[in-house]
Amino acid sequence: MIEPVTLQYETAVDIGFKAIPALTIVAMMVLFLGVGYFFRVAAVDDLWVAGRSIGAIENGMAIGANWMSAASYLGVAALIATAGYYGLGFVVGWTTGYFILLIFMAAQFRRFGKYTAPDFVGDRFYSNYARGIAAFVTLVIAFVYAIGQGSGMGLMAQYILGLSYEAGVILFMGVTIVYVALSGMLGATKNMALQYVILILAFLLGLYVVGWSQGWSTVMPYLEAGAQTELLIEEFHAQFAEPFAAESFYMWMALVVSLILGTCGLPHVLVRFYTVDNERTARWSTVWGLFFICLLYWGTATYAVFGGLLYEEPVSGDETAVTAGAEDTFMNMPGADGDALVALTVQLADMPEWLVGIVAAGAVAAALATTAGLFVSASSAAAHDIYTNLYKTEATQREQMAVGRTTILVIGILVTLIALNPPALIGELVAMSFAIAACVFFPVFFLGLWWENATQEGAIAGMLVGILVSFGAIANDTAIPMYTGVEGAFSTTLAAYVPGLGSALVGVPVVFAVIIVVSLVTESPPEHVKRLVRQCHSPKPMDKMDAAEDVAADGGTTTDD
Amino acid sequence: MYEKILVPTDGSEVAEAAIDHALDIASTYGAELHTMYVIDTAAIDVSLGTEQVERLREGHFGEMPELQEEATKAMGVVTQQANEHDLDVSIVEQVTAGQPHRQIDRYTKDNDIDLVVMGSAGRTGVRRALLGSVAERTLRTTKTPVLVVDIRTEDE
Repeated sequence: MIEPVTLQYETAVDIGFKAIPALTIVAMMVLFLGVGYFFRVAAVDDLWVAGRSIGAIENGMAIGANWMSAASYLGVAALIATAGYYGLGFVVGWTTGYFILLIFMAAQFRRFGKYTAPDFVGDRFYSNYARGIAAFVTLVIAFVYAIGQGSGMGLMAQYILGLSYEAGVILFMGVTIVYVALSGMLGATKNMALQYVILILAFLLGLYVVGWSQGWSTVMPYLEAGAQTELLIEEFHAQFAEPFAAESFYMWMALVVSLILGTCGLPHVLVRFYTVDNERTARWSTVWGLFFICLLYWGTATYAVFGGLLYEEPVSGDETAVTAGAEDTFMNMPGADGDALVALTVQLADMPEWLVGIVAAGAVAAALATTAGLFVSASSAAAHDIYTNLYKTEATQREQMAVGRTTILVIGILVTLIALNPPALIGELVAMSFAIAACVFFPVFFLGLWWENATQEGAIAGMLVGILVSFGAIANDTAIPMYTGVEGAFSTTLAAYVPGLGSALVGVPVVFAVIIVVSLVTESPPEHVKRLVRQCHSPKPMDKMDAAEDVAADGGTTTDD
Repeated sequence: MYEKILVPTDGSEVAEAAIDHALDIASTYGAELHTMYVIDTAAIDVSLGTEQVERLREGHFGEMPELQEEATKAMGVVTQQANEHDLDVSIVEQVTAGQPHRQIDRYTKDNDIDLVVMGSAGRTGVRRALLGSVAERTLRTTKTPVLVVDIRTEDE
């Protein structure tokens, strides 16, 4: 199968140290730390006076930065370019979830008002086992999700610093760990908003400049790329736009459902709703978050089209897999090229080095922002939910800090090791963590908020089944083949119905059923828990200082009193 | 000589080792004893999450009952020990958030504290690299006299 020519072809990415892009990255890091330091110094320490609150727009930007990782920035364009219509499922899935969040969960979570996602599970299901399972899954999600980010960092380091992929992963992961260590006292939300602005500007700059320079588009490349898409389909590869050519209709649906429901089950996304001023802000943050996210997602398909054309016929004269004769179409480009496609598009359009550098820097900003958020959600699962709540309730702040920092170090090292040889494309890796979040968390969050009779036994059984389905599916078609060297899935039948990327289509209904059935046959939850659930839906707007538990503890205003 | 003494606490054994000393000095000099609980934002960051640091900064401490409880309990030990030893010392309690050594320094300046009495774990090696020493940082930051009670000597 492998022709000799492919052995010579490695990547179209222009690897080598570039002074200006390298300086851009350094300047960006200094800016983040500087902004953080400024806001730390300026912070008012008095706890008793209500300080400045984060508005919906700023919180929306923070949601956007937390959300848009290397997977969105680099991975989605890669998946659309290589899988065509199937890849569009990622765009649909990773945006639609916000509607469900908006309608069913954002404001209710705000009213619950606890600290971490496992806190919600532990308190709502009055069970420390449930809390423990939730904390464990939070750690796993952060871990799988972060591997994709490490992979994106390595690719960009190749272009910017001329390092090997491996050295790039190690360097940028190291930088991220240090950044997280410093970031807590820094202006977290301010920095998130800034990271969003940098990454979206870098992304759009590349898109507009390529469209403009090639005469393909002017002010709205999103809408103007139709002619190029047609060209791409007719001249090069009809499969690109053919529905269900790469994967079946079932796989497409499975993927989209997993991504949508996974969005609603991601711990590091949900915590942003706990902290806003009131539920109105929680709702509007979701809307703004979705808007800011769409600016980028809409552009990914356009990048895929521009990138595909340029990959076939590079303006810059660089050698790609197609011009080198290694592959017959851009849709078969190697994984490393695909995942670098956003930056590669700009490079192949013969744009100056500094411009490609900015686009690459945006990818690093995206990866950094998300990874920092993931590491913190992992450390809080370990330090707060597992160590303090389950193991040592008397733990002091400093003990928790030691546990948290150790967790960040350990998970950082593990992620770096796995990212050195990633088992899948960036977008696929991240999709797997969504499948886990959808199967394990979405049902307990949703039923926990909306059905007061959901019991602890139901939640525990549901989460265990969710773990079984989602982990099993990933082991079956990704992990086992990867580490045993076997080609294809362990069980192809299972992989066809419950794919690792899309296990939620089967998993979520099963978990819902398990929770409902088990809840019906077990003893119904204690009254204070039911009251808590009702309080999350109170039509009376809650005072901004009220979290549901305070109201419930005050004797409550519920009907049975 | 000492009119106002500060004994910062985080509820740990290390911090509580200093309380005896602080109470004794306060009652000897008839000084007012201030006790202070600093919510360490760096600890909140890795244990509760970065968003919670923001929440504190926005003045939402009131809706974080677990933290309040922890602070009240830690500071309550001072009054408790004063009662146990039957000492007549007036005690002032204060909760704040930030980096502990900076907050201690700020408080001593703002309230004309004459002496800070605090514990030290005498950590070495990895644990020290991971956490550092609040006592050491306080010594470097503040110009007020500091009495450091090492928990290891207490054990002997």
